Amino acid sequence: MEVSHSVKERTIAENSLVILLQGLRGHVTTVDLRDESTATGRVTNVDAFMNVRLAEVTFTDRQGTVSCLDELFVTGRNVRYVHIPDEVDIRATIERQLEAIHRVRYFGGRDKGRKEFPRAKYK
Amino acid sequence: GGAMSFLKRFPPPAEGVRHQQPDTEAVLAGRSLGAGTLYIAESRLSWLENSGVGFSLDYPTISLHAVSRDLNAYPWEHLYVMVNAKFEAEETKEAPMAEGEEEEDDSDDDVEPIAEFRFVPSDKSALEAMFSAMCECQALHPDPDDEDSDNDYEGEEYDVEAHELEQGDIPTFYTYEEGLSHLTAEGQATLERLEGMLAQSVSSQYNMAGVRTEDSIREFEDGMEVDVAPVVAGQFEDAEVDH
Repeated sequence: MEVSHSVKERTIAENSLVILLQGLRGHVTTVDLRDESTATGRVTNVDAFMNVRLAEVTFTDRQGTVSCLDELFVTGRNVRYVHIPDEVDIRATIERQLEAIHRVRYFGGRDKGRKEFPRAKYK
Repeated sequence: GGAMSFLKRFPPPAEGVRHQQPDTEAVLAGRSLGAGTLYIAESRLSWLENSGVGFSLDYPTISLHAVSRDLNAYPWEHLYVMVNAKFEAEETKEAPMAEGEEEEDDSDDDVEPIAEFRFVPSDKSALEAMFSAMCECQALHPDPDDEDSDNDYEGEEYDVEAHELEQGDIPTFYTYEEGLSHLTAEGQATLERLEGMLAQSVSSQYNMAGVRTEDSIREFEDGMEVDVAPVVAGQFEDAEVDH
């Protein structure tokens, strides 16, 4: 279970439904874009800013022309909808992602855990 | 006709260049701009023709990018970049359109301008690296206009940690000194309370042997010495503990 290496991104994800999208890694999903084109492919990554990376994509542009793309990266700003596949258990997915984040935060090793939370009191 | 006015002469980017691909053709809306070098830099995406003129694209204007190997869609494998902006060469559309459509798109306020660039490297095997470099650079430019999500979490993760500690999750994987430096006031209070409870149960065993740990605990509860642990051996040689 991969989580972001960035403290800020983990915090953002933990506090928004992006965490659900991150759990879709490996699933085939359809993403509706802001300009009304759509992309269907396997999710390889979703970051905290909802940038979506898909592989083996069938892309339908806003004029309806269909083409295949090996890999596609859509910026979060241009994502309108992400379809959640039927086989995905939404609640379980969110719980798994949260667990993964907490594992990294609290048990990534003593030193690693400390560096995540620099404090004024830190000697 | 004539030269594309958005092409300018500028020096190639020197800093933060994640990937550079020479011998790459740039195509805008189906019209070739010539052969040149594509620079995928952290600050912007630039392409410079071999003659020294070219253009740059800012990542926030790039809606998406992709690797296209579908020769039915376009005869050469390339890096496709969709930009949210108008460029001069847009008069020539790739896909044949009915006469009325172009005007509809322009007059429809909801439809944003779109320019389609294709970067065709002579070395097809470089497409993966070009794509990945662009993903990395794109991620460096999150949408500043994102009003919907409250992504201002600079301090919030600290609060989560404090809550976890409050719930009695004593960080047993810290050494005592190190762990203490991370406690909030609430965490300190919790720690003192728990240690007080522990000391009481310990002292009830040791009272028989004459060790009085209770006094030192009480002292610290009143004294509010938040940086000091009541029960660490060696730190309190001055404390009133009879051994």
